[in-house]
Amino acid sequence: MNAGTLALAALGLPFCSFVLLAVVPPLRRAGRVAGALSIAAIGGSLLASLVLGRTLPRESVELTWPWLPAEGGPMATVGILVDHLAASMLVLVALVSFLVQLYSLGYLEHETPPALGRYYAYHSLFAFSMLGLVLASNFLQMFIFWELVGLCSYLLIGFWYTKPEAARAAVKAFWVTKAGDLGFIIGIVLLWGQAGTFQFSGLFQMAADRTLPTAGLALIMFLIYLGAVGKSAQFPLHVWLPDAMEGPTPVSALIHAATMVAAGVYLVSRVYPLFLLTPDVLALIGWVGAFTALLAATLGLVQADIKRVLAYSTVSQLGFMMAALGAGAAAAGFFHLLTHGLFKALLFLGAGAVIHAVGTNDIWKMGRLYRAMPQTAIVFLVGTLALAGIWPFAGFFSKDAVLAGVWEGGLTTPFLMLALTVFLTAFYMFRVVFVVFFGNRPAEGHPHDVPLVMSGPLWILAILTLGWGISLAASGGEEKAHGPEWIPWLASGLAVAGIVFAWLTYQKRAVSADALARTFRPLYVAALSKFWLDDLYGGIYRGLLLGFSRLVGWVDRYLVDGLVNLASAWTLRWGDGLRRIQTGRAQDYLYGVAFGLLLVIVWSYWR
Amino acid sequence: MGLQPYLILAACLFTIGLFGVLTRRNAIGILLGIELMLNAVNVNLVAFARFTGETAGLIFALFTISITVAEVALGLAIVILIFRVRRTVEADNLDLLKG
Amino acid sequence: MSLEAAGFWGLALVLLASSLAVVLSKNLFHSVLYLAVALVATAGVFLLLQAEFLAAVQVLLYAGGVVTIVVFAIVVTERLVGERLAQTNRGVFTGGLVSLAVLVWIVVFIAGAKLPAAAPPLTGDLTQAIGRDLLTRFVLPFELLAVLFLAGLLGALFFARKEE
Repeated sequence: MNAGTLALAALGLPFCSFVLLAVVPPLRRAGRVAGALSIAAIGGSLLASLVLGRTLPRESVELTWPWLPAEGGPMATVGILVDHLAASMLVLVALVSFLVQLYSLGYLEHETPPALGRYYAYHSLFAFSMLGLVLASNFLQMFIFWELVGLCSYLLIGFWYTKPEAARAAVKAFWVTKAGDLGFIIGIVLLWGQAGTFQFSGLFQMAADRTLPTAGLALIMFLIYLGAVGKSAQFPLHVWLPDAMEGPTPVSALIHAATMVAAGVYLVSRVYPLFLLTPDVLALIGWVGAFTALLAATLGLVQADIKRVLAYSTVSQLGFMMAALGAGAAAAGFFHLLTHGLFKALLFLGAGAVIHAVGTNDIWKMGRLYRAMPQTAIVFLVGTLALAGIWPFAGFFSKDAVLAGVWEGGLTTPFLMLALTVFLTAFYMFRVVFVVFFGNRPAEGHPHDVPLVMSGPLWILAILTLGWGISLAASGGEEKAHGPEWIPWLASGLAVAGIVFAWLTYQKRAVSADALARTFRPLYVAALSKFWLDDLYGGIYRGLLLGFSRLVGWVDRYLVDGLVNLASAWTLRWGDGLRRIQTGRAQDYLYGVAFGLLLVIVWSYWR
Repeated sequence: MGLQPYLILAACLFTIGLFGVLTRRNAIGILLGIELMLNAVNVNLVAFARFTGETAGLIFALFTISITVAEVALGLAIVILIFRVRRTVEADNLDLLKG
Repeated sequence: MSLEAAGFWGLALVLLASSLAVVLSKNLFHSVLYLAVALVATAGVFLLLQAEFLAAVQVLLYAGGVVTIVVFAIVVTERLVGERLAQTNRGVFTGGLVSLAVLVWIVVFIAGAKLPAAAPPLTGDLTQAIGRDLLTRFVLPFELLAVLFLAGLLGALFFARKEE
């Protein structure tokens, strides 16, 4: 099988599964059977992706079919573009989707069969959309899948739609990402107006030949970047991601950690040759990324909800990736995307296992879980160490590469922000580890380790995280960045400092957390209220949008409806008046005949 | 004597008939008005026939007279029938055409 | 004033007077009698126009047939009601106005038209001509008229039959 067929198979299997689940209700209502079908489909996709990754030729493979017929050739095409970037992403998406779907069988065992079937139908659709996004060969197709992914995110966040918070969070996620997507579609259309094609390969060719008109290109690329800002939760559109934690935890792991939020980073990586033409936009991406990383890290410090801590750490790590991309280290950013996808999925699924066992999200209600669920504790620790960037975990190498790339890119201030973030990341993640798994008070209830269907994916991810890191260490850092020698030492030192500090604060109680909060009081208060960004958006929404809506509503109710009512009232009145001339008496009708006769005579006379 | 006096006579006859049809309350009275109007038509037809030398006018007048007789017979039958059903021949009360 | 003119004006006077009586008389029975007068006067006008055959038909069919039928109808109806049928007018003003307007415009129209001042001399027998044309040029309408009468006869029978 050649690469194109494999890619199409990987794309088609989840789609078939979705269609089957969508149009055959008995199958969907069967619950676990639906799950098995969906898992089998994504398993097939994973297999195809792996084979594809092994056998991928050097140059990229592109298959296209014409679409949107127009004069002088089709206006757009549909197709797939497989290169190393897409293939790596394909494997990551298929792998995480597969493991998460498997894990969900255990996590959602108490759901009713119809709900479970619905869940797996959404999952299949999501897998199809995400794989389609990865394989898209042009902007238009990418946008379509991009929106489909957003739709799936909406559906899955709102999976427990009877919970008001979940419904609100789903709507919020949808709206906020749509705000970015608006820029994305405008950018695509403007780019088409400039270049005349949606095709990536054509655009890259033009960029390489320097035939792409550069006038206005910065604006276009900025607009396209806006789409990535929304999807990858960059400041100031990051507000939806923490709320998205209202969905089931496996959904958070899949969509809001490993795959969908990475779509923005993937988009920038995908069209990196175009971004290279606009250094100003790239610098902006770098600054925004670093700022987002630092901001989210400070927010992560004060969260009590284990999933929210992870959500802010996701935002923070996405900031890392974007900063690397902005600094010109595209490979480092994408590398971090892949490693982060693995260990963040691991962390979320581990957190899911904890929540499943304890029945709450609040870390202060957990404690000493190491004794009750040692397996979970170990894999969670693996993920945390990877996230903190400790040698020899995979996260160490990618974070190192990002930092080196940013330093090399000459973005000194963002580099300092990121370095601070490394310290904060280690601190807040180990805060969670110490409070949840060690701590002083035992957790309520009788938590126990999770069943194999859930622990299996956890172990696979943990082994991959560690194994990948060890293989990188053993190969002498082939993919290592070429930054100064001191950067790995600095990063490791900061991470270890963060861990030690967390140990002192939350395990030994040598440093009082309250005293810390007092010392950094303004920052603490600001972080607790999410830097008032949600309030700002809420105010804007209430003040401007609702005001405008009320105005429109008033116009509709009184002006438009008034005109309609007036017209209908006149019609009624005239009709009522005209009805009276229909007396039913033949003689009255004869008057009409007489008048007609008169008219005929007069008319013939004057003619 | 020209054609004009005959035509004006017929017009007067026709208008009087029209007046009767418009104003009479009794259905039989209305029928009488119609007779007058038809009569006016006959006068016109015969006058035109005489002054143009075309016999078709006479024959049409003959037809009109015959049809009128049939019409009167049928009209009166209807009047009597209405009377039987509704106990009135007042045209004011015959408003079944009302929508 | 010629004999013809004198006859015309005399007949016209009788005709219009009796017609007005038809539409204005309070007594329905009197109306019918005035109608008979009007119809006979019309027959006179036909004679003036040298259409003797039509004058005869007019007197026989109209003054004889129609008037007889109407009188029958009145008698039958009055027996059913059990009282004399009064005959009143309504909307005299509007009806008169509309009728007058029609008359005025017809007269204006006639006055504006070019009409022959005198009748051409008669050639041959008019009655003979009617008979010939009726069975040649107009034979089809003539026969259709017979069908119409048959239909009218059946209809009148249907209406007049007793309810079962």
